[in-house]
Amino acid sequence: MNRRIWLMSPAVFLLLSFCVVPLLIMVYYSFMSDGAGGRFTLQHYANFFQKDFYLRLTWKTIRLSLAVTAISLLIAFPMAYVMARIIQKGRNLLLLAILIPFWTSQLVRAYSWQNLLRDGGLLELALRKLHLIGEGSLGLLFTPYAVVIALVHIFFPYMVITIYMSLEKVDLSLIEASKSLRAGPFTTFRRIVLPLCKPGILAGCILVFVPCLGVFVEPRILGGTDGTVIGMVIEDLFFEIYGWNFGAAISFLLLSMILVVLAAFSRLSREEA
Amino acid sequence: MFLTNRKQAIFVLLLLVALLVSACGGGGAGRSGDDGASESPDTTKSGKQEKVTLRVINWKDYGSDDTELVGQFEELYNVKIEHQYMASEEELLTQLRIAKEGTIDLVLPNASILPAAIEEGLLQEIDVTQLSNYDSIYAPFKSLKENVKDGKVYAVPWVWGSTAIAYNPDKIQEPIRSIHALWDEKYKGRIAFRDDFNDAIMTAAIALGQDPNAPSDLDAILNKLLEQKPLNRTYWKTGDEFSKLYAGDMVDIGLMWSGQTATMKQEGLSIRYVIPDEGAIGWVDNWAIPKGSKNSELAHKFIDFLISKEFQEAWVNKGGPAPVNKNVSTSLDPAFVEEMGLNEAAIEKLYFISYHTPDEKEQWNEIWQKVKAQ
Repeated sequence: MNRRIWLMSPAVFLLLSFCVVPLLIMVYYSFMSDGAGGRFTLQHYANFFQKDFYLRLTWKTIRLSLAVTAISLLIAFPMAYVMARIIQKGRNLLLLAILIPFWTSQLVRAYSWQNLLRDGGLLELALRKLHLIGEGSLGLLFTPYAVVIALVHIFFPYMVITIYMSLEKVDLSLIEASKSLRAGPFTTFRRIVLPLCKPGILAGCILVFVPCLGVFVEPRILGGTDGTVIGMVIEDLFFEIYGWNFGAAISFLLLSMILVVLAAFSRLSREEA
Repeated sequence: MFLTNRKQAIFVLLLLVALLVSACGGGGAGRSGDDGASESPDTTKSGKQEKVTLRVINWKDYGSDDTELVGQFEELYNVKIEHQYMASEEELLTQLRIAKEGTIDLVLPNASILPAAIEEGLLQEIDVTQLSNYDSIYAPFKSLKENVKDGKVYAVPWVWGSTAIAYNPDKIQEPIRSIHALWDEKYKGRIAFRDDFNDAIMTAAIALGQDPNAPSDLDAILNKLLEQKPLNRTYWKTGDEFSKLYAGDMVDIGLMWSGQTATMKQEGLSIRYVIPDEGAIGWVDNWAIPKGSKNSELAHKFIDFLISKEFQEAWVNKGGPAPVNKNVSTSLDPAFVEEMGLNEAAIEKLYFISYHTPDEKEQWNEIWQKVKAQ
């Protein structure tokens, strides 16, 4: 092996000590009973599956994350496509525009959405001026829709970046070859470009879906009474009642679900290669 | 490649500067080291004298970090009060457990964590003889069972309050008297209930006529809370969330703390507080000294300062919560005293939050999670 692989050691060290080891510690505690004299127990996992509302809540969170991922993809793909294949000059400026929101704290953005979506807020006033809604309230704030809007706003840049990167790599000569074989633009897109940028799409979906599963700030601020997600349950367990072991168990279960999804995705992407 | 000409470069530079300036301006939610005591007073007389730092853990904007109010203590004893902020009582308990001895001098626990903190030996005994104002505290507070163990005092009551109903008198003309107002269909969509398992269970218990500290029928409580849920605009968790909702005219009535309602009144909002006939939740905040604090004597002096008539009166007039010092209410506006329940009669109606075992807490928390998940 090339000796320069040791250049990776700081990153590996960080990942191991601050990501992997804490995860293992969390897994360890999820199998321990509460209190000082912890014994091995499966009680936390049993508790999660016995109370049906935890599973229902997790499923609700998965649906929310899928919705956010799908909408992000619908918005991000055209934008990435235009940036990669159509625009020549303003590309970097657009990239900057995508990256700027990252410089603002996520909490500030969530509160901004609260301000925009509220009754009497900008969005309602604008839509009313355009005669798109009537006199009644917009009714978006404190519903799951507000949460989806805010999450899409926060996460779709990730999607744009990954899709853009893989679209950029598409070899122009392949496109030309396809044209020379008299394929129309749509066929070229469907059979050459799309398969080649699949890794980018999959990576983008993962980058959006996984964090959405664990989100808890935006649902609390924007979701109203129906906006509970499993992330909020974990947050309460850690901050409200010191039920860390149970919180760890739920977190580990979420992690396992994500790993299963990732495995499925990687199988998909390998088949395409 | 990226900055191909000067115009682009200037544009990006301006953007960065704008962002830097806006980042310096405000802060987000969360910790801040010494927010209240960041200006050092003009003690050029003492010159090179080393200033002692008293480290306090408290809620943000809660009296002890108000430079106006504690400034004279800092000057008198040449001490700098440094704050760390807590977001929940459980977090404070965690802090006490993991902090190195001697790094914290004063903390503000309430009944929910006091027994655990005392049991685990995290707090040191308070010498009440060092507190000249201790006898001015209302009698019921001095005998709270969570503050004392084996005849030793571990916590000094400081302020107390209730969690009851706050409403907009301009929108709701007829005066509210019952806790069932939170379940009234008339106010559907304009109510803000609290997202906190303790407040939720206890309020539902009071509404059902059960003892909030030992509810007899948790299933009935679950159903009562489910009944209440669709009537809300949303739930609120931190005080500023409710302020935003109320000030933004998104809610007219909610479950709220007496202290913050008083502050909101002070800020000019039209808001009325009422302790319902059925009763309300009461709470007491106490000062305690963690074991191993190196400034124990100074901490005692600070506690004495904080329970003095002067401080408590000044703070109540600024919008602080109810004082434990009985000499204060004589100097307040009687209408204010009546509304906020700052008298013995109101104290009688309150159910003070008592200690619950971790199992009980878990059980209550699960009921509340179930309500929220529905």
